[in-house]
Amino acid sequence: MRVGIVGFGTMGTTHAASYQRIADCELVAIADIRPERRALAEEQHDVRSYATLRDMLSAEALDVIDVCVPTFLHREHVEIAAEAGKHVFCEKPLARSRAEGQAMVDACRKAGVILGVGHVVRFFPEYQRAKAVIESGQMGNVGTVYTYRGGGGFPTAWQDWYARYEWSGGLTLDLIIHDFDFLRWTLGEVERVFAKSTWGRENNRMEHVLVSLRFANGVIGNVEGTWLDLGTFGTKFEFACDEGLLTHDSHWSSALKSYQLQSAAHTGKPGVAVPESPMAIDPYTLELKHFIECAREGKEPMINGEEALRAVEIAVAAQESIKTGKPVRLERG
Amino acid sequence: MRIGIMSFAHLHAYAYADVLNQLAGVEFAGIADEDAERGKAVASQLGTRYFNSFEELLKADIDGVIITAANADHRRLTEMAAAAGKHILCEKPIATTLEDGLAMEKVTREAGVKFQMAFPCRYVPAVQRLKAQYDDGLLGRVVLLRGTNHGKMPGGFFIDPEAAGGGAVVDHTVHLVDLVRWIFQTEIKEVYAEIDRRFHDIPTDDCGLLTLELTNGAFMTLDPSWSRPDDFYTWGDLYLKVVGTNMVTEVDMMRQSLERIGSQDPNYQWEFWGSNSDYGLVKEFVACIREDRQPTITAQDGIKALEVALAAYESAKTGKPVKLDN
Repeated sequence: MRVGIVGFGTMGTTHAASYQRIADCELVAIADIRPERRALAEEQHDVRSYATLRDMLSAEALDVIDVCVPTFLHREHVEIAAEAGKHVFCEKPLARSRAEGQAMVDACRKAGVILGVGHVVRFFPEYQRAKAVIESGQMGNVGTVYTYRGGGGFPTAWQDWYARYEWSGGLTLDLIIHDFDFLRWTLGEVERVFAKSTWGRENNRMEHVLVSLRFANGVIGNVEGTWLDLGTFGTKFEFACDEGLLTHDSHWSSALKSYQLQSAAHTGKPGVAVPESPMAIDPYTLELKHFIECAREGKEPMINGEEALRAVEIAVAAQESIKTGKPVRLERG
Repeated sequence: MRIGIMSFAHLHAYAYADVLNQLAGVEFAGIADEDAERGKAVASQLGTRYFNSFEELLKADIDGVIITAANADHRRLTEMAAAAGKHILCEKPIATTLEDGLAMEKVTREAGVKFQMAFPCRYVPAVQRLKAQYDDGLLGRVVLLRGTNHGKMPGGFFIDPEAAGGGAVVDHTVHLVDLVRWIFQTEIKEVYAEIDRRFHDIPTDDCGLLTLELTNGAFMTLDPSWSRPDDFYTWGDLYLKVVGTNMVTEVDMMRQSLERIGSQDPNYQWEFWGSNSDYGLVKEFVACIREDRQPTITAQDGIKALEVALAAYESAKTGKPVKLDN
């Protein structure tokens, strides 16, 4: 499978490295509007580079387009790739709204191409193990669940797009959508969302969100996410079940701990936190390997457009609750 | 100074009795209990006198009482103690209804007896350090909080809706609400809650999640669930994260523990070595009587904390955020 990546930022760089590790898969080209990123891509990988996705598509014979541009540009790029008949892997979040996401799903269905979305947390072994344990019934029924994600500082990227709410959707859509997707994957549909954020109250680079979720099966959830710089990026979860507790804390489980001996500036770090993986094969490579297999064999990927859209719906409901101060009921709950 | 204990329905009574026995110049003068069998057994176990009725205890030469009865009995016992001119340290929550709480505030004020709520978490050194950080301006403005007060299902009157006034939510909301009100000098102005019974086959709720808006502009989630397994390695937790504009601070009360890993059941337990917060609480009660000053944890504090728990039940019932007149 011949792959082209559009957007050579943090995630484009991560994916480019992953494709090198996948058999029968060749990273052929990269598109990025920034000349310095194109130069970097050519230096790091044996690829040709282009300013735009259209340029890349007209010059290269590709099977898969991996969309790693900022969220607000996802729809445009996914639609261009689909119209060109390419299978599409799109970074999360799929879209900023239900309508936008549905249009992307429809475009891919119409073109008959496979759409996969980068909810990479489903490929993190600690999350996979938690889902397996919960589903095994060993813990009985889940009563309450808590998840935490963040602490790595505010992400800085092209045009400071994370700081523009209308471009990124803020932390609720960009960061804790991982937890919404994971929880929905593990516990089923969400019925009701109530959320509070510092968004609109404080500097948006310091965004911190607390979400109350009620699942259709009755589980009460508490999702926390933060852009604050608390030293290192971290994740946690706790499933409280009627037959015991199942907990995870990435600070506890990290197999490699290093400490920088000078204090980092508080103004944010370049790029976006990508957690260090203690595994022989990292989760990003696993998610892309799965997608490439699906694209090759014409199978639906585990996280297709429809699946990703459900996570967007939860995040959008949280955004609405934050804005209105009211609980938001999901139709699908 | 002679102090008695009214009822051992609440397990905290044992901890308070221990403190009475430790404090210099204080005599643990005796107990009365609506359950005579329990009362007699406890009295002989703790080496104190058993009185056959609350009336008899209150007629004795005592200065004050600690009320550790079921929540719904707090008002009646407070009224009896106030009428007898005895000072009162009352277990939380203050009562099961705001009406009862307000009546207790009134009757003790009019009788001129001191009334202190038992919110011992104010005496946890880490909590006091957090308050100092805030008072000294180190935290900056408070932006948001996240608290948990998890526990095991306690059984007893706690799972009797009439006697307890609710379940986990009324039991475990009040500690954290009191801390937040006290430390940050703020009130709660809105309460949203998801509440359910998901862990145990009991008549009350056993879990929930409260989302609060504070008058100081901050917001908070609070998890009061009885969600720890019966063989959990300690009784539960009391955790508070504070995000300020200058600093983020976390207080985790039970962390002052050793991990004890053995070869026999239970093979993993926490061995708590932190300060005894009940000691500070009871010592303050005795000092208020001795020095004839007003307690720092008042009936009003008890009422305000209860108000939030009751609003949580209302929110869970209506599905809407409940505004408080603060």
